[in-house]
Amino acid sequence: MAAIGIHFGYTCACVAVFKDGRADVVANDAGDRVTPAVVGFRDTEQIVGIAAKQGQVRNAANTVVKVKQVLGRRFDDPVTQTHKAETKCQVVDKEQRPYYALSCGERAELVAPEDVAKLIFRKMKETAQSALGSDVTDCVITVPFEFAHAQKRALREAAEAAGFHVLRMIHEPAAALLAYNVGQDYSSGSSHVLVYKLGGTSLSVTVLQTNGGMIRVLSTRTDHSIGGESFTQALAQHLASEFKRTFKHDVSRNPRALLKLMNSADMAKHSLSSLGSANCFVDSLHDGVDFECSVSRARFELLCSSLFNRSIQPIRALLEEAGLSATDINTVVLCGGSSRIPRLQQMIREMFPDVELLNSSPPDEVIAVGAAIQAGLLVGRDGLGPDDESVAVDVCAADILLKELDEAGAETFRVLVPQGTPLPARRHHSLSAEGKMASLCLEIYQRLDGEQPERLSKMVVRGLPPSEERRRVDAVITMKRDGSFHLSCAANDDGRSEAVTIAAAS
Amino acid sequence: MLLEATEGEETVVFKAAAASVQVLVEPVGRWFEAYIRRRNRNVSASFQELEDEEESSEESEDEELQLEEHPMLRTLDPKDWKNQDHYAVLGLPHLRYKATQKQIKAAHKAIVLKHHPDKRKAAGEQIVEGDNDYFTCITKAIEILSDPVKRRAFDSVDPTFDNSVPSKSEGKENFFEVFAPVFERNARWSSKKHGPSLGTMDSTFEEVDNFYSFWYNFDSWREFSYLDEEEKEKAECRDERRWIEKQNRASRAQRKKEEMNRIRTLVDTAYSCDPRIKKFKEEEKARKEAEKKAKAEAKRKEQEEKERAKQAELEVARIAKEKEEEEARQAALQAKKEKEIQKKAMKKERQRLRTTCKNWNYFADNEADSVKMMEEVEKLCDRLELTSLQSLNEILASASKEDSKAAVEKQVEEVNAQLQKEREAEVQARQAARSAEQASGGGGGGKGWNEEDLQLLIKAVNLFPAGTNSRWEVIANYMNLHSSSGMKRTAKDVINKAKNLQKLDPLQKDEINKKAYEKFKKEHTSVPPSIDNALPSERFEASGSDGNAAPWTTEEQKLLEQALKTYPVSTPERWEKIAAAVPGRSKKDCMKRYKELVEMVKAKKAAQEQVAAKNKK
Repeated sequence: MAAIGIHFGYTCACVAVFKDGRADVVANDAGDRVTPAVVGFRDTEQIVGIAAKQGQVRNAANTVVKVKQVLGRRFDDPVTQTHKAETKCQVVDKEQRPYYALSCGERAELVAPEDVAKLIFRKMKETAQSALGSDVTDCVITVPFEFAHAQKRALREAAEAAGFHVLRMIHEPAAALLAYNVGQDYSSGSSHVLVYKLGGTSLSVTVLQTNGGMIRVLSTRTDHSIGGESFTQALAQHLASEFKRTFKHDVSRNPRALLKLMNSADMAKHSLSSLGSANCFVDSLHDGVDFECSVSRARFELLCSSLFNRSIQPIRALLEEAGLSATDINTVVLCGGSSRIPRLQQMIREMFPDVELLNSSPPDEVIAVGAAIQAGLLVGRDGLGPDDESVAVDVCAADILLKELDEAGAETFRVLVPQGTPLPARRHHSLSAEGKMASLCLEIYQRLDGEQPERLSKMVVRGLPPSEERRRVDAVITMKRDGSFHLSCAANDDGRSEAVTIAAAS
Repeated sequence: MLLEATEGEETVVFKAAAASVQVLVEPVGRWFEAYIRRRNRNVSASFQELEDEEESSEESEDEELQLEEHPMLRTLDPKDWKNQDHYAVLGLPHLRYKATQKQIKAAHKAIVLKHHPDKRKAAGEQIVEGDNDYFTCITKAIEILSDPVKRRAFDSVDPTFDNSVPSKSEGKENFFEVFAPVFERNARWSSKKHGPSLGTMDSTFEEVDNFYSFWYNFDSWREFSYLDEEEKEKAECRDERRWIEKQNRASRAQRKKEEMNRIRTLVDTAYSCDPRIKKFKEEEKARKEAEKKAKAEAKRKEQEEKERAKQAELEVARIAKEKEEEEARQAALQAKKEKEIQKKAMKKERQRLRTTCKNWNYFADNEADSVKMMEEVEKLCDRLELTSLQSLNEILASASKEDSKAAVEKQVEEVNAQLQKEREAEVQARQAARSAEQASGGGGGGKGWNEEDLQLLIKAVNLFPAGTNSRWEVIANYMNLHSSSGMKRTAKDVINKAKNLQKLDPLQKDEINKKAYEKFKKEHTSVPPSIDNALPSERFEASGSDGNAAPWTTEEQKLLEQALKTYPVSTPERWEKIAAAVPGRSKKDCMKRYKELVEMVKAKKAAQEQVAAKNKK
């Protein structure tokens, strides 16, 4: 069974298919793996993708960009108002909902943002089907963490209007984790993951805790004022000033020239992520004057240094909010096209010096891949329980510890069940003891958040035959949903065992 | 490194662990899915117990495989493989159709290890060459049983299966003991797994119904290709193959039919023997009976209730009527009494007034005045009401003569004024009535009857004489059809108007006619100038002023026509004679009328001519 994962972003959309046990991003008909979420309305047709983006220079008033910003929002929403001010399309109010007033040829038309999203989804569907060669409707769609219910519903409706059957809507950071298979190990203990997503127009940083295969969002932070476009803007401004310096022409009053400059800057920015310098070349930019200019990576980094700082800033604030330090983070996942920028990666690496930085797969595709993996898990499964919302599960409230001695003979604690483990759970631990000891004592403690461990129980195993070798002891702890647990341990050599059951406080 | 226990320490629990808490997690990942699935299955047992159970069940499956070696295995004839029991050959006679594919494979493996010709050769046994060795039977058996289609074909004709159907007499006595195993046996042919069981005597109607509907719509997978006489593979050419196929199909269909008949017979027998069905039928019958009874009872009750209600209603109505009558009678009596009292009082007061006035000698000195005064007083007595009479009398009784006179005169004046007013009001009312009549009769007024309509009405009335079926509706329709005023009239309107017209004096009728004529003339002014003769009409108007201007009645008209005929044009003093023949009309009137008539005839002719000309055109 094949299934589709879709990442529908503010500037770009990406689709991945899950087939034969692996998820792959599908290239669209233009050969790009990421499709710009731009829809151009023409006399007879609607164009989605790169063609629409290129056509924006000529057809700015009828090209809808960043439709995700207004999706499912009311007209008087401040975000809608900002969008209205920024976009070159006319946004009108109809029954408290924003609509695009577009002129397709002679006739004027009111187009709902949902319909624009639908067109993009349809394009995604076509792309996926061209790769699969069959009609696949089951899909998982990612949404930003801050999306409200109405926005999710609007997105879901748009996808369903495009012919999709939405299996589930998952949050973008969770999808990114899934793509890297982070925290998908049942028996691994608790770990903290930072997902850094720098998209076209937004930055979102999220701290997640993974435990027992479950992912939990601890804290998140979103900034809509910074994104890849800010960098492009900065570069385009630089190019404009270069142009002015060389040819004494001011292009700031020429919107078409500015758009051309933006497109050129965008391309230059992309190549600067892999090359040391990039050439910008714009034919007939202004007054028939061609423009050519070379930008070095250092120049670009200099231009954007304040922006970079702003992009990194939220991480510290977020960690502070979550009560964690940089060393508590075990993994950092990068996603969003702009996190390709080498300087940014370097800055993040400096912030987390001994942490694995996951950026092996293209960051703008990661989320779609995660969604496809999730779709692969869900497809063909009936009775899908929870719908897009987060689900409440019972977890262990405290760390369950066992007192041990380290090599030097000092007392330490071994974590048997970490806090936040989804219940019911069973953990198996291999312990060791001195062979000459005839008895063992297992002292069990629990440690609540930031408090001193308190002793719960003591288990004594006696009558062990002395041996020269180190004794191996297997301990199995089984925790029920209410928090009560059962610990049994058995010595490997003669099989003597002991068990204790500790009830949960009600 | 674990700690060592010190002396005297025991396993002990100090404190309860902290209770679990709920947190929100992202709905992603396979562990999440597994968790949710577990939760949805609502597994109350702990995770471990569940897992252990799964493991143990798997183990038991493996353990159960015990092979029973076929006692006659070595003596089997490979040529007769079709009649061998493949399950027995593989050592699975106890499992048969229940054997899983895994078990069959395992059994085959075990038996091959033991009976393979190579093994036996090694053991020093004599092996029959070629396909004649009994090992071929084993190969055949696994060939059949490992292929689901072939296995199904073999299962369908399982030699150990008991196809018998119990007879009715068998089933009657102990139904459940006889039929339960039969149904259980036959249920294996069902395409649907887990059909309903026969149940017990206490099964509910739904269960029993479900059971029989399952069996009556039994969808069997049993097929009889195994018993095919000829083998398709043996055919040498296509035609032969086709012939074989046809042959096989026919026999299969025949067998399938027999099988379905068998099942049908079984179910029919069971149904007819089933004590529960009997019970349900009886219950149903009883229920219906009870229902019927209840219905009848309800109906009867309703009837009774109705009757009672009717009676009560009648009673109430009667009482109310009686009461009303009584009240009316009482009221009438009371009124009569009061009236009488009033009358008496009136009489008394009037008498008093008269006597007082008489006593005062009618406040007059001479006879004439007193007579007049007497009349006035009489009038007063007539007109004044009881209370005013009383007050007047009191004044008269207490006051002096002058005062009394003044009072009486004042009263008289008032009465006179009132009388005057009444009279005026009457006159006014009469005038209003007249004007209203005129308005309605004169046409063009309130009800929208203009001359044209009136004309039309008259025409219609003549067109549809009395005796026409629903005459007035027809007239009204006719009016509505032909009226140019566009007003809808009902039969009632029309009747009223016609009655009104009848009531009108001839004068008015004639006026209407005249008006109609004028109208006609007006309409035709544009037509032939030959009939344009303004001069005579002018003269008429001049002379008409002193004659009898009243319109001509029909009688007068008749008389005039008669006279005109009696006195031809040559008669001397013709008009005088004619005038004499028509009473109430002068010579001038007659002449004028004659001229009018001539005019009319002329106009008519002209109109006719015009119409004719038009038609010609």
